[in-house]
Amino acid sequence: MLANTETNSALLRVEELVLHYRTRAGTVQAVDGVSFSLDKGQTLAILGESGCGKSSLGRGLLRLLPRNVKTYSGSIFIGDLDTMTLGDRRYRRDVRWRRLALVPQAALNTLNPVLKVGYQVAEPLLVHRQVKKKSEALEKVRHLFNLLGLSTDFLNRYAFELSGGMRQRVAIAMALISDPDVVVLDEPTSALDLLTQANIMNVLKRIKKDMGMTFVFITHDVGTASELADVVAVMYAGEMVELAPAENFYTDPLHPYSERLMASVPTLREEKELQFIPGQPPSLINPPGGCRFAARCHKRLSQCTEKEPPMTIVDKGSRVKCWLYQ
Amino acid sequence: MSQTGTANAGMGRLALRDFGGTGLRLLRYSLVRAISIGITVVIAVYLTIIIANMGGQVDQIRKAEIQEQIGLSFMNNPAVRDMTPEERLALQEEMLQIEIERLGLNRPFLLRSFSYLWQGLTLNLGRAEQMSSDTGSRQVRLILLERLPATLLLWGTAQILVFVVAILVALWLSNHYGGILDRLIIALTPLSAAPAWFYGLFLILIFSAILGALPYGGMVAAPPPTDPKAYALSVLRHLILPVAAQFVSGIFILIYNWRTFFLIYSSEDYVEMAKAKGLSGHLVSRRYVLRPTLPYIITNFMLMLISVWMGGIILETVFNWPGLGKLLYQAIHLFDTPVIVGSTVLYAYLLAITVFFLDIIYALVDPRVRVGAESRQP
Repeated sequence: MLANTETNSALLRVEELVLHYRTRAGTVQAVDGVSFSLDKGQTLAILGESGCGKSSLGRGLLRLLPRNVKTYSGSIFIGDLDTMTLGDRRYRRDVRWRRLALVPQAALNTLNPVLKVGYQVAEPLLVHRQVKKKSEALEKVRHLFNLLGLSTDFLNRYAFELSGGMRQRVAIAMALISDPDVVVLDEPTSALDLLTQANIMNVLKRIKKDMGMTFVFITHDVGTASELADVVAVMYAGEMVELAPAENFYTDPLHPYSERLMASVPTLREEKELQFIPGQPPSLINPPGGCRFAARCHKRLSQCTEKEPPMTIVDKGSRVKCWLYQ
Repeated sequence: MSQTGTANAGMGRLALRDFGGTGLRLLRYSLVRAISIGITVVIAVYLTIIIANMGGQVDQIRKAEIQEQIGLSFMNNPAVRDMTPEERLALQEEMLQIEIERLGLNRPFLLRSFSYLWQGLTLNLGRAEQMSSDTGSRQVRLILLERLPATLLLWGTAQILVFVVAILVALWLSNHYGGILDRLIIALTPLSAAPAWFYGLFLILIFSAILGALPYGGMVAAPPPTDPKAYALSVLRHLILPVAAQFVSGIFILIYNWRTFFLIYSSEDYVEMAKAKGLSGHLVSRRYVLRPTLPYIITNFMLMLISVWMGGIILETVFNWPGLGKLLYQAIHLFDTPVIVGSTVLYAYLLAITVFFLDIIYALVDPRVRVGAESRQP
């Protein structure tokens, strides 16, 4: 069930991914040595608060880098292909939207305002020459629209004529059109109202079940993540601090940060007093030595501020980056 | 899911109804635009007539001029030498009244201004007071039409060249921003602070006076070559310097403008999505940067065209280019009201036609500008 870094059976395997940005104030270590792997048909939820580097991780996976990148290293295997070794041209032709697709945060701007929605969804098929004729591509779009509960009338609409939820369904259709291996969902429901959010989540769950799609689901919403996740990764200050099977994570989070994160989420069935984490996450420009969470940790040990804890494999396949489990 | 189903069906019906009315709506929209632009032209021409006649004050000047002319003609006329001063004055007064009546100056200016307006709008531009066309005609219409091609040739060539080069270079720079070429162009933008005629003077000095490679000015060699091919070549040679002057003066600031504009639009989310989808850089630029910004580009292109209609007074004078700009310069000097009013009327018409087409094109290229449609936001 759980992703296993040692085997090569994983569909997506990331090793020591580093993404640093150059800014005037110094180097921002947005993603700092993140490793994980994911089997086909599974969903990895990447949880974390704003500025923890989870979106940068998503961008790093897709090689959608801003101009001020300082370091971008590590390996990203999709199947046996190490995408990091590919040049930009080959990456564009062989990886973009054929191996990896993206569903962005719901926003009006993610669709070109002057191209018809149907054409935009069909575009990857035509660009990558997966079909020969435009009509063939549009036929596939029609099929996907039906699947996602979108009226095929929308094929000839423009983005501004659709509601937020409809636009997000279109974005999902666009990500699925070329049968990619992995779809990165970058906060796909964050800008939507609660009802639409639930709707979109249902669509995603159905796709996962029916099509066996593999998702990397980036979100700050612990509750939403639980609906889709098979594996949960928690990011804190640019590092992955915990990687655990969902059932373990939601019942028994290991890292003190995960523990506090879970304690801050209201639940339906049990009575509990909600907690918060005092303090603020450290700046990613000069993160503190040792454990990056140490300053806010309620279980801090003496070595925590001195030495960086290694990623440790604990029982039931969970991994945690904390001295408590050494 | 059933809820979305009914919503979809509802929107489908709406789309169907909209489709049927599109042609009619476009027609009605065009008509309304044409009428409102027409009213604007009428007002503009009328204001020009009022201003060019100084609200009727020019009548006094012209009356004085006529009086002076009659006086002068009397002084040198031996036929009136034998008359008594009273007789002479009476005759002078009589001739003045005849002349005033002939020119229609006895009618109140307000009434005349409307007949001027009608004449102007029907392009019955009348006769020039001092100027004449190269073929010797006094018809203002002919004088203007004779100059129009020269202006369109020079300014059309220069402006379209500057515009197209600026857009293409800017698009390239916006993809390579921060590079050496980008920084160089930004460093050169202050060159655009000086007008084209300023560079024209230097270009004439270097290429005509010192190197002797290109003509000082004019539009064609004198005498003009009879062979059409040689004629075209001669015009081309004369075109180089004024176009170069325009180019140097206009290009850098325009590139800088468009580069910044494209830079802003390339940071839109859909551009990033297009990259993630694996579109080539060329396709991303064309379909995701250029296409959504097309309405703005067209607006600027049309505004540029409007400036082409009028040419430039000083540059045409510096290069002795026989265009409308130089004509207007001469007309203002000679106080030739019919020519001034005539060129303004011509300009107003060209401007109005340009704006009208701009509106139509805008509605065609940008789906967000739905002409007269009720909002269809679901």
